[in-house]
Amino acid sequence: MSLKPHFGVLRKAAVRRDIKIREKVAESELVRQAYRYIIRNETLSPRLRRQAQLNLNSFDIHSRPTSIRNRCSETGRARGVFREHRLCRFQFRLKALSGLLPGVKKAVW
Amino acid sequence: MALLPKPRLLKLQELTCSLFNTVYNPTSARTGNKILKQRLIGPSIVNWYPAKMIKLKEISNMFPDFDLVDQGEQRRLDDIARRKRRGKGAPKKGQGKRAIVAASKKK
Repeated sequence: MSLKPHFGVLRKAAVRRDIKIREKVAESELVRQAYRYIIRNETLSPRLRRQAQLNLNSFDIHSRPTSIRNRCSETGRARGVFREHRLCRFQFRLKALSGLLPGVKKAVW
Repeated sequence: MALLPKPRLLKLQELTCSLFNTVYNPTSARTGNKILKQRLIGPSIVNWYPAKMIKLKEISNMFPDFDLVDQGEQRRLDDIARRKRRGKGAPKKGQGKRAIVAASKKK
């Protein structure tokens, strides 16, 4: 349990892998989008579009945006992560109850 | 508008496109323009996790000219020196408890 404000992350292997994937995706995104444009453009020649398909498939498997997993920035948990706070549900609860998340309040009625 | 013949309507559309700087595509051919319109997600994706905390040691490695003092490290070294003076330091290789026991067993 880490309620103190800190600047590091518990660097689990899965988190480290995810960081690496994110960097690869960001790096290759522009070229990937260019190939995707060529593939989807039906006014271009079929040969060119086929070549673009092959080139797109030759990228590293981890440069695909779908291989990114939004993990908890505190614990690295992969499931039950709130996108807005980048926290898993339990860390969100802990932080919210201790008042570290601005604007988040426990509902009472 | 509906009474106008089709060629004239197309002409009108072409003129509208040239005025408002949009793509004139009467046959609705797939040009892949929607991919060009997509926002690049890279910059927002990379910063999901908070940045790794930089240690003082890394800074002092980067700038060897500056004489930066790591207080925690200094305290640790002082502590070791103090214990060594009292004869409580770590034993040398092959002179620890286990090594002595192992050596006596061999005999």
